[in-house]
Amino acid sequence: MRIGLEVHVQLPTKSKMFCSCPTTGADAPNTHICPTCLGMPGSRPSLNKKALELGLTIAKMLKCTIPETTWFSRKTYFYPDLCKHFQITQYDTPIGEKGIYYLGKKPIRITRVHLEEDPGKTKRIGDGSSLIDYNRSGIPLVEIVTEPDLSSPAEARQFLSELLTEIRYTIDLPEDGERSVRCDCNISVGTERCEVKNVTGLKNVERCLTFEAIRQTKVLKAGKTIERETRHFDEERKVTMPARKKEFEADYGYIGEPDLGIFHIASIAENIKLRESPLNMAVRFQKDYELDEKTAKQIITTSMKMAELFEKIVKISDTQTAKTWITGTISAYWKEFEPTAEEKTKDLISIISEFYVKKITDTECNIKLKALMTGKDPAEITETSSDLDKLINSFLDENQSILADYRKNDKAANRIIGSVMKQTGGKYSSADIVAATKRLIDIRL
Amino acid sequence: MSSRFSLKDLEKLNSRYSIFTSLTSEKEVDAEFVFSAKDNLASKDFETRAGSKILEGYAPGFDATPIKKMRKAGGFLAGKTNMDEFGFGTFSTNSAYGIPKNPFDLNRSCGGSSGGAACIAAIIEDHVALGVSTGGSIVCPASFCGVFGISPTYGRVSRYGLVDYGNSLDKVGILSAKAANLTKYLPIIAGKDPKDPTSCVQPEMRKNLRKIKSVAIPKEAIEGISKGVMESFRSALDVLKSMSIDVEYVNMPSLKYAIPAYYVIATSEASTNLARYCGMRYGQQDGDLALKFDDYFSSIRSKYFGDEAKRRILLGTFTRMVGYADRYYNKALQVREIIIVEYKNIFKTHDAIVTPTMPFVSPRFDEISKMSALQSYKADFLTVPPNISGTPHLSVPCGYSDGMPVGMQFIADHWNEDLLLSAATEWEKAFDIRHPEVKL
Repeated sequence: MRIGLEVHVQLPTKSKMFCSCPTTGADAPNTHICPTCLGMPGSRPSLNKKALELGLTIAKMLKCTIPETTWFSRKTYFYPDLCKHFQITQYDTPIGEKGIYYLGKKPIRITRVHLEEDPGKTKRIGDGSSLIDYNRSGIPLVEIVTEPDLSSPAEARQFLSELLTEIRYTIDLPEDGERSVRCDCNISVGTERCEVKNVTGLKNVERCLTFEAIRQTKVLKAGKTIERETRHFDEERKVTMPARKKEFEADYGYIGEPDLGIFHIASIAENIKLRESPLNMAVRFQKDYELDEKTAKQIITTSMKMAELFEKIVKISDTQTAKTWITGTISAYWKEFEPTAEEKTKDLISIISEFYVKKITDTECNIKLKALMTGKDPAEITETSSDLDKLINSFLDENQSILADYRKNDKAANRIIGSVMKQTGGKYSSADIVAATKRLIDIRL
Repeated sequence: MSSRFSLKDLEKLNSRYSIFTSLTSEKEVDAEFVFSAKDNLASKDFETRAGSKILEGYAPGFDATPIKKMRKAGGFLAGKTNMDEFGFGTFSTNSAYGIPKNPFDLNRSCGGSSGGAACIAAIIEDHVALGVSTGGSIVCPASFCGVFGISPTYGRVSRYGLVDYGNSLDKVGILSAKAANLTKYLPIIAGKDPKDPTSCVQPEMRKNLRKIKSVAIPKEAIEGISKGVMESFRSALDVLKSMSIDVEYVNMPSLKYAIPAYYVIATSEASTNLARYCGMRYGQQDGDLALKFDDYFSSIRSKYFGDEAKRRILLGTFTRMVGYADRYYNKALQVREIIIVEYKNIFKTHDAIVTPTMPFVSPRFDEISKMSALQSYKADFLTVPPNISGTPHLSVPCGYSDGMPVGMQFIADHWNEDLLLSAATEWEKAFDIRHPEVKL
């Protein structure tokens, strides 16, 4: 099975790609618009240099060859959400070509990286008509095209997930839900491929590829041939459907975009300093702190902020202490904590520091951390957590073999967690039980 | 200095000559000067229709940068001048809003596509008309109406607010009966504008205008010129010599490829620019909404584009299709580079190139109606070369044949508008310019 992806990611610029309209925070449809992003006659584009820089950062991150100069092209097709009926994109001079991305040890070849503008958004309403919101029109996109080097839907999803983690960190792409990833998925089970256009989100990419793989296999098994075609993914029904032929058989008639001119990008790219990529960081964590691969990746994929916090804790204590608290209590309440991380990190570190110098016990430390991270009343936490600790400790006392099992595979903790949950009914949240169990096991190890 | 200005005169003139597509409703105006703008320049206070039915009702909320600058300099915008639809034409006969008539002979064309601009410039002596040239649309009508017309270097004047024809070719310039107006107002509309990145690479205009000392005439440019025009041109060369300017004949073999290359590039770009007109958001929107979107678009486009617009959309779509782009669009881009190189070579040894502006004087409308599209395209063979290369060029009235004005074209190297402005000033002193008799 061969899978290739065309990944579209919105770039986190403040203003749009060719005008000064804001890219986020619109209160209502068609409020962040101007003559340029509406393609009104007489308007013209002027490139947002930040979009170019961010695109080049990604091209560099993917180890692409970056040409001396680049320019934009017009891709002409008729669709109501595309105001000018041509999309300003890149055709013969993408900002990056022939890159590579390592999914673990497996190289995934990157065909090209280019910049383009997003069209508006079409919303179908019941009566056969549609509404169009042009707030999205002109938001900068980077498109990353891979060679068909992915070999399963699950691997494609894994690739996307890791790629996005790296991109998020490298260009400070916020996870604010407004900027979702969109993919065109190419898949062939036999010799001919099909393209599924415009699939939104990781889950849907895996689903649509799985559906396509099964569908194509069935077609081949029935002795028929796969027809090269463009398909749509129906998110509701989780099936792919052939697209209207007319819609995608267009000859885009690319020509250069004369209004923007030529950009000398080699020197811009040279001056871009890449941050350590999350996956490199994971490798370094394994080496420097003797973390196992899973834990290192888990910390980094949760959040780069957590990875940074881990290193801060190591500095004031030691690796084992940092690991215990990061994978235990801190992971359990991370979601609540992350939005306030900036203001609370100092306090968090001083709590762990108190624990490290033995001014407070691990139970006290746990309560203080939880109170800080969730903003709950410490008294309330004290009561529930000491009860919970007792329960878990007695379970551990009775089942000493779990510790040995846990050393081999941390899934062994699930036995305690399951048992405690059963015993206590809904009294404790699963996050509380998981955090307490991991912490108490780590202390005994 | 202020000029009193009466609307009544303009209205009368307009009904006789079809100069404007929109005209001010002010009764009388006190302003530093009065100017007009070709109807493809966006303006706050008038509809901007670019001579096309499809843009009927389009009222942009913004001024094109050149209009904005003229207003800021104290100018009063009297109206929007008539033109071939989107600039597609040589005679202004492709307008959806009447055909401008030549002030020297009502049965003849003003030229195109800035026909209305040349007409008003010929009629009102101190008027400043903003025109736009893609393939000769300033110098052609200037020549036919016997006025000065300058099309600056590509990128000299911001195109922000210009309804695009061919973005790599379009230039905003000036037409006027007085050379002094070119010298005065070109620096006002010129200059960098962040809203048009192609304007941001220009060097400043020279304030001390240099005089032309030598000119070259490509031999290829004086083949196929009408007898009347050639006679005027030859005597104009004598005037140049009397102004102690060296005149020398040169070869420019690429000249004959300019027309095919130009029509490929211009129509390729135009066909993408015109894709947006579809009966949504602005302009005519009276189609049947029960249709599927693409059928709706086709219905509006079929109904409201003129024949020449349709022809150029078809041509331009064809020349950039997969399988044809290399043979046409990409090859045309190469030809453009060759033409630029040949120009640069000539400018190494000569300050400017001179040729007749048009191969004939303004034709009568009955003659125009008999011309094929190809014949009228070929009429641009002298104005297209400086346009495809983006070099500044000027037309000055240089003689009269059958009572109709003949134009002479000066071409200078990129950014050397000062040579052309001084040439216009010197020429005005040396040559006896006739003005059409216009009775109110």
